[in-house]
Amino acid sequence: MAQDTTVPKLNFEYWLDKAIEWGQATTLESQKDVCLHLPQLQEFLHQLYETIKHLQGSTAAVQQFPLIGQLLGRLCWNPFVIGYDESQRTLMWCLCCLYSSEPQNAVELKANSWIRETFTESLLCHLVSSSKWESNEAETSTFISALGYTSADYYCHLVKNMVVSLVTELRENQSNGLNIQESISASRVNAMSIFCVPLITLPDLTPLLETLLLYHGSSSKEILSSEFLEAVNEAFLKKKISLPEPAVFSLWLRHLPSLEKATLHLLDQLFSIQLNSLEEVACVIKDSLLPQAASHPAIFRIVNEIFKNALMETDGTSEVMTIIQVFTQLFLQAHQNENKQHRFPLKAYFPNHHQPLVRGLARRPFELPTTSWSQHLKHISDMLKALVEDTNVSSLIDLFEIWFLVACFGEWLDIAAEQLLKAAIEPDAVLWLLAFYYCPKNENQQRTQTMVEAQAVYSHLMMLFSCADLSLKDLEAAVHKLTGVEQCCNQHLTTHLLTNFLLFSTGGHKIAQECIYHVTEVTDTSKEIYNLLIRTAYRFNHSGEENQRTVKLLNALLQKLPLKV
Amino acid sequence: MEVVLGQVEQLPALLAVSRSALVRDWDSLTLDRALEWARYFQHLYDRFRTRPQLREALGRRLRRSQPYPQLGFSTLGRCPQLLGLALLENRALPPAACRRLLRSLPRSPGAGTGPEPRGLELIARRKAAACLLALSRLPPRRLPGPEAQLQAEAQLLLRRLQEEAQEIPEAAGQLRWLCGVLEQLPQPRAFEVVAAALVLLKQGRGQGRDGSSLDGYQASAAGDGCTAELLLSWLLGSQERFSAFCLCLPCSYLAFLAGHYSQLSRSYLDLLTVWGSHLVYDPLQGRWVKSCLDEAELSWEELRQRFSCLCQGSTLLKEQTQAALKLLRTQDGDFKVCGVSVWTDLLMEGSFYLLTFIKMSTIMQK
Repeated sequence: MAQDTTVPKLNFEYWLDKAIEWGQATTLESQKDVCLHLPQLQEFLHQLYETIKHLQGSTAAVQQFPLIGQLLGRLCWNPFVIGYDESQRTLMWCLCCLYSSEPQNAVELKANSWIRETFTESLLCHLVSSSKWESNEAETSTFISALGYTSADYYCHLVKNMVVSLVTELRENQSNGLNIQESISASRVNAMSIFCVPLITLPDLTPLLETLLLYHGSSSKEILSSEFLEAVNEAFLKKKISLPEPAVFSLWLRHLPSLEKATLHLLDQLFSIQLNSLEEVACVIKDSLLPQAASHPAIFRIVNEIFKNALMETDGTSEVMTIIQVFTQLFLQAHQNENKQHRFPLKAYFPNHHQPLVRGLARRPFELPTTSWSQHLKHISDMLKALVEDTNVSSLIDLFEIWFLVACFGEWLDIAAEQLLKAAIEPDAVLWLLAFYYCPKNENQQRTQTMVEAQAVYSHLMMLFSCADLSLKDLEAAVHKLTGVEQCCNQHLTTHLLTNFLLFSTGGHKIAQECIYHVTEVTDTSKEIYNLLIRTAYRFNHSGEENQRTVKLLNALLQKLPLKV
Repeated sequence: MEVVLGQVEQLPALLAVSRSALVRDWDSLTLDRALEWARYFQHLYDRFRTRPQLREALGRRLRRSQPYPQLGFSTLGRCPQLLGLALLENRALPPAACRRLLRSLPRSPGAGTGPEPRGLELIARRKAAACLLALSRLPPRRLPGPEAQLQAEAQLLLRRLQEEAQEIPEAAGQLRWLCGVLEQLPQPRAFEVVAAALVLLKQGRGQGRDGSSLDGYQASAAGDGCTAELLLSWLLGSQERFSAFCLCLPCSYLAFLAGHYSQLSRSYLDLLTVWGSHLVYDPLQGRWVKSCLDEAELSWEELRQRFSCLCQGSTLLKEQTQAALKLLRTQDGDFKVCGVSVWTDLLMEGSFYLLTFIKMSTIMQK
């Protein structure tokens, strides 16, 4: 049996000391300490079980771990430990392992007897509480037996009753706020939140968790303990409990670290799944409840900051950008679904921006007829141009903020590229918008240069737009632009235009697969193209794109492309 | 079917043995068989619970057997738990069988009945939860009504009563069953449980928090009414029992119950009348005293307090009480002077007390 690798990890002395400490002290501090150590303790117990499960009877186990009896005994009487998650199960398994089916000596006999006692006493009766309960204990169990029930039924009802009672008192206290005589002190509510920490994943407790999260005392300081708030957040993120939305929002509003954790958790989730379709992404984001929570401007601003940082840390990869764009769309949806009376104006979410620009960007495309999209885009482009070129944009930071704002509403950018090729009215303004997106800085005239190049590519593509028969050679010039590494802004913009061209032009369809294959061979734009395609597919699904040919092509491309990403 | 009935008849015996010293001869095979039987009984429960006639037949057969007349059809559903826990507590069970038992319990599927069929770990967890929640109890308890433990016992009683009502159609049989069960508790406790049950019925929480029934037995308003009737007929069944009940419970609690159950208020008023009529006026001391030093009688102060509690109840109850007092005063000669009729004095005190109370509560609210 593998002893050496596991024994050092099982630090019995440490845990026994802890168990003794916890047993003696009844202060709030020691109770908080228990709560902090519960996850590690559970892990320890699990490892312990794995180590002793092959053993028959207690002698071998006691030889290897002399302190095991003491430790398990003490832990069994600690309601924090027993109440936590799966600790009670692991403890019970450990006890079962120590039980001998054929006791060989007095020690084993005694151990057996002790184990049975622990099971019946610590599990079935003798609540560690006031003496009033102890005297009633025997009467209760006789009565329950007579009724034909077991302690399972009894405790089921008991816990539910206690929860209801606490919930009622909290709610009454909430509405009774003015009557200070009868109000519950903040310290008692704080203590209650600590006692609830081990029990968070017990379904019976959910009503109490909800009530606590929505409870606001008279003071402005946070009453609930941070251990509690963190633990609830963890359980929620791991989907071990489900809470109603108002409770979750309240949690995030009261406890900033929880909100941050939730946002980072969402990003982790999204990075780990293969982005096959934006529907999947949207689903995950919606489930996280963050877009809905972001209806609170405070929450929105923090989530936005975190996304911004993530974008900067990953050097603006298109995956992160796509995630941010989908999030913004879902946020807008949730925002619009809110009751008009409770809805905050857009200014609350984007306080430092030019409001007409915000309003323009926040218009959902489907709210406007497709024929007016070009006009709308021109409007946005003009405002943006005025902001960026005419006024003195003082710093790079300001420029970045404006750029980020535009990038969040990426749907319009995709539509811009599409409109350029399909319904080109005043292409220069729309082209400028795209040029700004791909190349916001202009200290060394990079953007101007990009604009010039873009115009060239655009005119070239427009010439070929109505040609029925195209070959790869015709697009040589455009593809050539992609392979030159001088300016990657040009590469991105050209890719965008080229891909759209292949999707929406008559001749482009036939050579689409061939062309894209070739492009992905000679450049490293496959991820970008892939993201663009899934964004387009998502948009079509929601707007009901009629052009079946385009849809078919899109699906075909999406099937083939993942192999190259 | 006769085979099944014969098998089911064995359940009481099985449970009896599991609690007795006879298990000392059990080995792990015997234990396995016992647990298998338990699972089989649970299976029967699942199969037959939606079929009333078969359910009744099985229930009747179960009840025929002694020494546990309290078992019913629903016991079949709880068999694995009942057996498992009984065996676990039984010291006579030898080690080999016990180990087998321990190995099976924590992971016992126990699928089917019961709200959470997950074995001992859930019991342990809930017990710990009760402990922790008790620590965070908020003083003082302002809400009227029984504590959580009493409520739990009352809920179990109600659940069982509702199950029995479906199996024993006639009220007399149900009453017998109820008497048998309540005898298991010492009287004060039995009274508390019954009172708690009556309160729960009025609050519509006879079967636990959510409306869904835990055992497939539908609770309805009519059903609740019948259960309440049953409990009241037990309470009011004997004068001794009822007066012990009224002496046991605090007067505000009684007043609360009386306000919701008209049979109770009538009987209570009658009882108070009897007690009141046993008081005599002592002119030397200038007050009403007990005619005999019987513990089971009320003193003047206690009587007055009880009447004032009743008058603080619902309007209907208050009116009923005052009407009763006025009638009694009239019967006594309708005197308006102290010291002649206890009813006159009560009415006079009552109005004074009520006024004082109103004044006090207005002051406290400020």
